[in-house]
Order: sequence, then C-alpha cells, then structure tokens
Amino acid sequence: MAGSVVGAGLIIEGEFTSDEAVRVDGTVKGTLSTSEAVSIGADGVVEADVQALSISVAGQLTGNVTASSRVDIQAGGRLVGDVKANRLTIADGASFRGNVDMDV
Amino acid sequence: MAYASVIAGSAVIRGNVRGDTSLEVLGRVEGDIAVNGDVAIGPDGVVLGSVSGARVIVAGSVEGDVTATDAVVVEDAGRVVGDLSAPRIGVSEGAHIQGNVRTSGTPSTSAVRPAARAPAEVRSVASAPAERPAPRPMPAPVALAAVPSPTSAPKSSAAPKKAPPPPVIPAPRPGVRARKKLARR
Repeated sequence: MAGSVVGAGLIIEGEFTSDEAVRVDGTVKGTLSTSEAVSIGADGVVEADVQALSISVAGQLTGNVTASSRVDIQAGGRLVGDVKANRLTIADGASFRGNVDMDV
Repeated sequence: MAYASVIAGSAVIRGNVRGDTSLEVLGRVEGDIAVNGDVAIGPDGVVLGSVSGARVIVAGSVEGDVTATDAVVVEDAGRVVGDLSAPRIGVSEGAHIQGNVRTSGTPSTSAVRPAARAPAEVRSVASAPAERPAPRPMPAPVALAAVPSPTSAPKSSAAPKKAPPPPVIPAPRPGVRARKKLARR
C-alpha cells in the first residue's frame, strides 16, 4: 500500500501534508492533511487537526477532524474534537467528545 | 532493508521528525530529522535541515549537516550541502557534496556491510571543501600528518587511541610518483 507510515516511536511535530494515505502508529503533533485515508493505529497519538478523505481512529486523536467521506472511531479509539463528515461511526467501546456536523 | 517508518513521495512535512525508529524519506522534510535508527533519503527525497541517525544513506538531496553514529553513505544520486560527520563515511562516484567531511568516533557496529555499489571510503581526517565529487582513499596517514590540517581536526586526530576500523577497500600502496612526493616532503 503506497502512503506514509509514521511508525511506532516516530514523532512528527509540524505540518504534515500528503496526497497519499497516512497510517499513524507513532505521534503526530501539529496538523495533518491529506486527500486520501488516514488511519490511526491503536498505538497512534495524533494531536492535530486532521483533514482527509476518510479517518479511522483506533488510537488517540485530539483535534478537529474534517473528512470528505467518513470518520470511523474504532473500539478502543478516542477522539476529542469536532467532527465534520458525511458519515460517522462510533464503535461500541470507543470514546468521543466533541461536536458533530454531518452537513445535514 | 525495511524501514519502520516511511514518508511517502507526495508528503511534505514542515517541522521536525524525531524518534526511536528507522525512517525512509521519499518526500520532502523542511526541518530536522533526528532518529536513533537508520535513515534513508530516497532519490526524490529532499530534506532542508539536518539529518542524524545510526546509518544514514543519502540518495536524494539534503541541505543541512548529516551526522551518524555508525556510517554516512552518499549514493551517486545523492547531494549534500552541509557537513558529513560519522565514524565511517562513504561517498559514491557522482555524488555531490559540499561541506566539511569528518570521520570521528568509533562505529556502533563493527560488522563491515557490503555496499550495493562500492563507495570510495574517505580516510582523510579533514579535507578542504570538496570541489571534486569523489575523494579517493588517502595513501597514508604519514602524508596527512605532514600537512597542517586547516580545519579544527585536533579533536578527531587525537581522540582515537586504537587503530581505525578496517576499511572496506584497503588503501592502495602509493605509486612510484606518490612515493617520490612523500620522500621529498
């Protein structure tokens, strides 16, 4: 799968922009913006505003989230921030605090 | 080798990257990279900042100092504008380097790794800013001791009490003309 992988143990502090998918198992602080999918693994910690095609949170995300298609918060995932997306799923066991705007 | 983290070709990071992992940069990083593992800068990779890691292989472009605890290898497509500093330094023929090149310290691993293309090992303690792309292995430490080194190299030359690590390519015995030159000094 083409795309960036922020492996466990890697810490990126700053703006991260891409045209490809991003998988985060490490730490990203700042902003994260891509036109493809963002997937945050169980060990991933993102303290950033995220803008992506779709966002899947199995780890921790603190920041506002804007997705063109969907946002999924997996069981064990934790999202603190506002969500702007057309589709949203919050799995049983996920944590979420924030506003949701599904552009209704 | 596989790297635990990858910065993809289209990715741009404006900020610093650090951590306890290995990293492959195929995109652009405007900031410093400081990791404990190996670092590879791909042919399209661009780093505007310093790079430091265990074993750093540069096949792309770095504008900043490159430091390694094990080895720095600049491949033939590589371009470094900045200082290179590591116990072992390799610069392939065709690489662009501009800055001070200093071998110092002892490598963290003693195993000699076979290179894909055998890079010329830089044996000199300190060299003038390299206009020539590929410095050849220097003939003998004797010749260097006779020439007063311009940059501050007393630390590097004084520090290693033990013999330097065995080179990948053993330094060739100087030819007749070089030996005459040494004899004349």
